[in-house]
Amino acid sequence: MHRRASSPAPSPPAQSNSDYAGGLARAFGGAVIFSLPMLMTMEMWFLGFYMDRFRLLLLFILNFVVLTGLSRFSGFEPTVRLVDDIMDALAAVAVGVIASAVVLGIFGILDAQMPFNEIFGKIVVQCVPASFGAMIARKQLAGAKDQETEDAAEAEAGYGGQLFLMMAGALFLAFNVAPTEEMILIGFKMTPWHSLALVMLSILLLHAFVFGVGFPGQEDTPEGTTFNARFFGYTVTGYAIALLTSLFVLWTFGRTDGAGLQQIATMTIVLGFPAAVGAAIARLVV
Amino acid sequence: MAKPEQDLTTPAKPGIPALEWIAAGIGLTLTLVIVGVIGWDAVNGTAAGQPPAVEASVARITPVATGYVVEVKLRNRSPATAASVGVEGELTSGGTALETSRAMVDYVPGRSERGAGLFFTRNPAQHTLQVRALGYADP
Repeated sequence: MHRRASSPAPSPPAQSNSDYAGGLARAFGGAVIFSLPMLMTMEMWFLGFYMDRFRLLLLFILNFVVLTGLSRFSGFEPTVRLVDDIMDALAAVAVGVIASAVVLGIFGILDAQMPFNEIFGKIVVQCVPASFGAMIARKQLAGAKDQETEDAAEAEAGYGGQLFLMMAGALFLAFNVAPTEEMILIGFKMTPWHSLALVMLSILLLHAFVFGVGFPGQEDTPEGTTFNARFFGYTVTGYAIALLTSLFVLWTFGRTDGAGLQQIATMTIVLGFPAAVGAAIARLVV
Repeated sequence: MAKPEQDLTTPAKPGIPALEWIAAGIGLTLTLVIVGVIGWDAVNGTAAGQPPAVEASVARITPVATGYVVEVKLRNRSPATAASVGVEGELTSGGTALETSRAMVDYVPGRSERGAGLFFTRNPAQHTLQVRALGYADP
């Protein structure tokens, strides 16, 4: 994330412990709400023990970078400095890990006889969506008053920031559906014509969401930009981001291992559909 | 020392509440532990190319209304995870097979144990019982 040197964002008011405790409570709520589908998906538990450890580590680190970026636009407290964003990201990890461990423990997915590795892996995989939920909880659960600083940050996020938000939205939605077997099954059921149709539909939806539906902060698209500039600047780029994010998620979960090129392409397109929707609605959710 | 509670609520730096330092501190600790453990695992844990090695052993035999339940313990000594692990128990008497039972376990994670159960109508204690893992699929 690039900081604007001349950041006109209003400096946030000093916070008290009770303000921050409220933010933390919302963060726990967000962590549970946004990761519940994944906490209740068995493939996610299995991934916890068989996922390649290098990929898990990379996912965790990348998630941390995304959290730090998101902290500027969302997060449990208004931030202006990078240090605050990092502290927010650390707190989101804490909330994500604790929330995942508690819920998985209550579900009986973790038990004391399992080896440490298995328990640890299950919690770390789940903490990715949970910490994301913790971070965006503010946007979803906070009052309108708290929104102002973030909306100001979003409004001046610039083109790079917009693309970052699209990537974060794509990552979150792709992560939500990628672990299930259905992703692969859908790929098997589709012919190349279906794939092409899905590409069209994804791009169409992305374009409609980004420009057709009224979005907050949408007015920062310069007046008078041509259809082409918008289409190639946001829609096509957004879809490219969605596809790359999908490919990364598939690789992370080991779905691309040993798969043929055609199959990888189909899976990427299938996962690219939710990813494109995620990219499109990023500004609403984040 | 009159009111020590107030010292706790006084932030170390103006503008950052003490609770935020605590939350970020816990987060930092968890982050370092996660990166450390997963990183160590990535380098040392999964011996690349090593196949799963699942061995089955009889844990307990319990008489039930319809016969006997043999609880089987499946132990994977390799770091690699085995999926769809089949387990078979065979009851023999003097070289003649009397009964065979099979069960399927979804996953036996690396360096872990999972349990399964086999039903028999004859009493396994009175014959020779052999259990073994049949095979697996890559997860």
